[in-house]
Amino acid sequence: MSDPSSITGRKIAAALVLAGLAAVFFNLVAATRPKGELRIITDYAPWPAATLAVADTLPVQDGGRIKPLATYAGFTMLAIHGARSMPVAGNAGTPGTLTPTAWLLDILFRPQFAIHHPTFRVDNSAVLEAIGVKPRGKRDRYSYADLAPGLEKLVELAAAYDAPAPQQRDALQQQVLDLAYNVRDFESLLGQLAFARSGVALGNAPDQQRLDISTVMDKAPKIRDDIAKAKAKAEGTPQRGPAEYLYREAYQAASLATRGMNIFPPAEAGERTWQNAGARIISVLTGESATPQPAIIDIMALENAARALDAGHPEFLTALTTLRDDLTRRAAARGEGRHLALEAAYNRADWFLNAFVVFFLGALCALAMWLLGSGRPGRILAGVTLGWSLIGLAICIIAIVERCLIMQRAPIGNLYDTIIFIAAAGVLLALLIEALTRRRFALGLAPILGSLLVFLSRRYELGDPKDHMDPLVAVLASNFWLTIHVISITLGYAAGLLCSFLSTLYILMRGLRLDHADGGLRHMLSRAVYGLLCLTLFLSLVGTVLGGIWANDSWGRFWGWDPKENGALLIVIWSLVILHARLGGFLKEWGLHVASAFTACVIVFSWWHVNFLGVGLHNYGFTTGKNVLWAFYLAMLLIIAFAAAAKWLESRRGQGS
Amino acid sequence: MEPAPQPASPKKPRAAIARWLVARLSGYGLATILLVLLGLLTWLATLEQIDSGLHHTLRKYFDWRAWYVVPEIRGETLPLVLPGGYWVCALLALNLTLGGILRLRKDWRHAGVLLAHLGIIYLLVAGAVAHHFSQRGHLLIAEGATSNAAEDYFEHVVEVAEVKDAMPATIQIIGGKHLTGLEDFDTRTVRLPAMPFDLELARFFPNANLMSIADQVPSSDVRTFDGYYLVAKPLELNAEANTPGCIARILYRDGNRSEPFLLTSTAYQPFSVRFDDRIFTILLRKRLWLLPFAVRLDKFTAEFYPGTMKPSKFVSEITRLENGKPAKAVIQMNEPMRYANLTFFQASYQQLEQGPSARMASVFEVVRNPADKWPQYSLYVVSFGLLVHFLTKLVGFIKEQSRPSHHV
Repeated sequence: MSDPSSITGRKIAAALVLAGLAAVFFNLVAATRPKGELRIITDYAPWPAATLAVADTLPVQDGGRIKPLATYAGFTMLAIHGARSMPVAGNAGTPGTLTPTAWLLDILFRPQFAIHHPTFRVDNSAVLEAIGVKPRGKRDRYSYADLAPGLEKLVELAAAYDAPAPQQRDALQQQVLDLAYNVRDFESLLGQLAFARSGVALGNAPDQQRLDISTVMDKAPKIRDDIAKAKAKAEGTPQRGPAEYLYREAYQAASLATRGMNIFPPAEAGERTWQNAGARIISVLTGESATPQPAIIDIMALENAARALDAGHPEFLTALTTLRDDLTRRAAARGEGRHLALEAAYNRADWFLNAFVVFFLGALCALAMWLLGSGRPGRILAGVTLGWSLIGLAICIIAIVERCLIMQRAPIGNLYDTIIFIAAAGVLLALLIEALTRRRFALGLAPILGSLLVFLSRRYELGDPKDHMDPLVAVLASNFWLTIHVISITLGYAAGLLCSFLSTLYILMRGLRLDHADGGLRHMLSRAVYGLLCLTLFLSLVGTVLGGIWANDSWGRFWGWDPKENGALLIVIWSLVILHARLGGFLKEWGLHVASAFTACVIVFSWWHVNFLGVGLHNYGFTTGKNVLWAFYLAMLLIIAFAAAAKWLESRRGQGS
Repeated sequence: MEPAPQPASPKKPRAAIARWLVARLSGYGLATILLVLLGLLTWLATLEQIDSGLHHTLRKYFDWRAWYVVPEIRGETLPLVLPGGYWVCALLALNLTLGGILRLRKDWRHAGVLLAHLGIIYLLVAGAVAHHFSQRGHLLIAEGATSNAAEDYFEHVVEVAEVKDAMPATIQIIGGKHLTGLEDFDTRTVRLPAMPFDLELARFFPNANLMSIADQVPSSDVRTFDGYYLVAKPLELNAEANTPGCIARILYRDGNRSEPFLLTSTAYQPFSVRFDDRIFTILLRKRLWLLPFAVRLDKFTAEFYPGTMKPSKFVSEITRLENGKPAKAVIQMNEPMRYANLTFFQASYQQLEQGPSARMASVFEVVRNPADKWPQYSLYVVSFGLLVHFLTKLVGFIKEQSRPSHHV
């Protein structure tokens, strides 16, 4: 029969872990869930799925690579809105969810709705008070129309706050600037197809006839000729003739579209930069383009799409499909955009959200498994936990492989890549340890570690909303040693973290007296931790030296004392300290696990903290999120303090008995 | 009955002391302490470089002349004295040699550890060799131009040259070590056998601004020289950007002395002096080191990812000119040129003019490091050793776990 105190201990431990997981889940949901009431937008009708599917795969050049519109829209929406979905409703009031592509299509083709979408995430109501807009709460989301009364003040404040260096701005000033940048980006998107929706006026009378800008482009040589003749005739009088008026109107409309989506592949094979609609129009208007006809056809295609929407969604779908097919064919002819469909599918699959859900379910099963112990229900739950963990791992692996195919490079090139890689590697390692030990400790840790790390990846993406599949700078591209170095170091992080969490589990289990003082169990866990420490040392050492070899090839020095390099060295040194202290008999079982638990602090310093230091080649310029690091260090130090207290109590009990 | 104690021979206590010493020097205890110290030094140096700059921090923590270190983080001196990193590494190498090689049991079970320890010692030796014997500089060459002299990153020297036909004919270099120690008001006389005079150096400023009294009148205690004076400024975080200066005076062999004058690394022209119809120039500048061959930059290409300023490729097409024989080579990111014990890395570039057809210049980092590839070789040894050792351990672990299992 089980010891009652042991069962109580299990329940306390499980409740604590459950509370932690619930906090994580709540945080995830609360951080990404739009605030405020559901927006009801008069006459709003959602885009048909077929239209969205076509729009998703429209090629765009952005961040130095060709990507589907879905990716571009996703990161743009994430940056401005703070989420990749937006609930809105039409007249019926039935809630619907806008995908990034639907949101972007509204901005491009139906701005009358887009300006009422709750697009702008504002986390501090003081920002709105500063620009004279009445806030609805501390944190909420606002539409462009909501912000309209304060836009002038926003621009004025942003100009004032932009001057000082970022380190000298206070939080409010930075938030005002962020909102100003977001509004600017939104306005830039609104202007992308303004010319296609309404054309240009022939004069300034209110009911003036309007012309398609493609027509103006077609007549550009004659317009320029007329302007020249009129100028010659007018002899310097300031009055503008109709030709000049039309030219200026067209130029102004095109200017609105010069900052944003580069969707047109250049005709010249040697030219690598794609053009946006604005540049295409201006090159013809000014006579800079020697072959204006392809540009005119491109602009006509956009106009056709914009007009087709007035006729109905089927007509719009046809026009959009024609445009997409043409652009995709031209990209393919240049050997570009080969992975557009794959990337669109990757976006649709939202692998890491699915992985989080699966790991979270696995974590709940793991807690129940630990709670129920060795009986039949416990065995069944062990199987279910294993199932969820394997599914989560498979999802992570699929996603990482797809990313590699899309990026055409090794899986790790930036900080975001490391998180998802460590999630997959950590879970895999935990399952391998479980296969060796079969004590259900590593099995339970696998989904918990997986859910925590995937959660971290989503939070990181939210804090740094940019496309992490963009190409790498020259020094990071195409070097064999670099690839092996980064993978090796990252695997070392995964092994070290798992090792630390296993030791944490050991400390909690022994401290809460959940292990029935089972010496064999403790010995097995200690051996597993020892083995993982060896693995951490091996991977970190090899990775660190490989990093040096790469640096020697790239920069001419093996070791530059860069904080990231030092961080990796610290992991190596700390692993060596533990192993040598253990061999020398200075660390017994408690000591081994306390030191091993501390490994997580060393790894987090190397993996994350050095990025905040503001120096070195791996400085990402982080300014926010440091408190989370301190909270993590504190939590690990509390675990160590708990271990010290438990060891003391254990000694006293030993003396008492 | 116990045998009566024999009087100890004088050799035995010495042998016992030697054994005790070797035992301590080769023990796990010392290894653990040294590793903890190395970890602490690395961590503190990482934090200190934020405010003190990398060059200064490295000299403070890891230079062989640094016997001890008092850390200073965010301007606060910590109540902690640590041994210098160089000597910690040296002691660690000794500990490894004694404990990890000599005293380690030589059997198959320990073969992996033995190899790993050998590899680490090799790595530490490589570090020491690089620390003492490597040389680094940079070489800036414009497209179409040729150069055979690299400039040191940090060391400033005084270059004294006799000019003939508008070219420096005889050059004598006063190394940076002659300037250090003159930060206060000491003076130092430097003999110049190749020149008809010697030089007296004084009041060295490691980083200073050259000021004109026309721009700003100095305080009364500041000495001026031809309307100019030096104002000390804090050392730069990036030590390459320091602009030192000092006061110099010519000591003629007949006992006469010139008026003192300023030498500064920011001067546009060298200080010139005429003696017996011969012209000499004196200049404070970063040390130049001559290469055994010349390099001509034929073409430099900088490519960026389309629509961005993110670099995708930097390529320098060069011609190496040695004994009149040209040899073509390409240097680009991650693909340096290794030749004649020198390595040329693509470091950066400069656009020399405005406009799309502007002439470009390429900047190479030039390194002479006798231990260039040693870390790579050591890695092979360490990796193989650790792999053998840990796989042996893993097999043992699996065998142990194959017994009947229990769960929580």
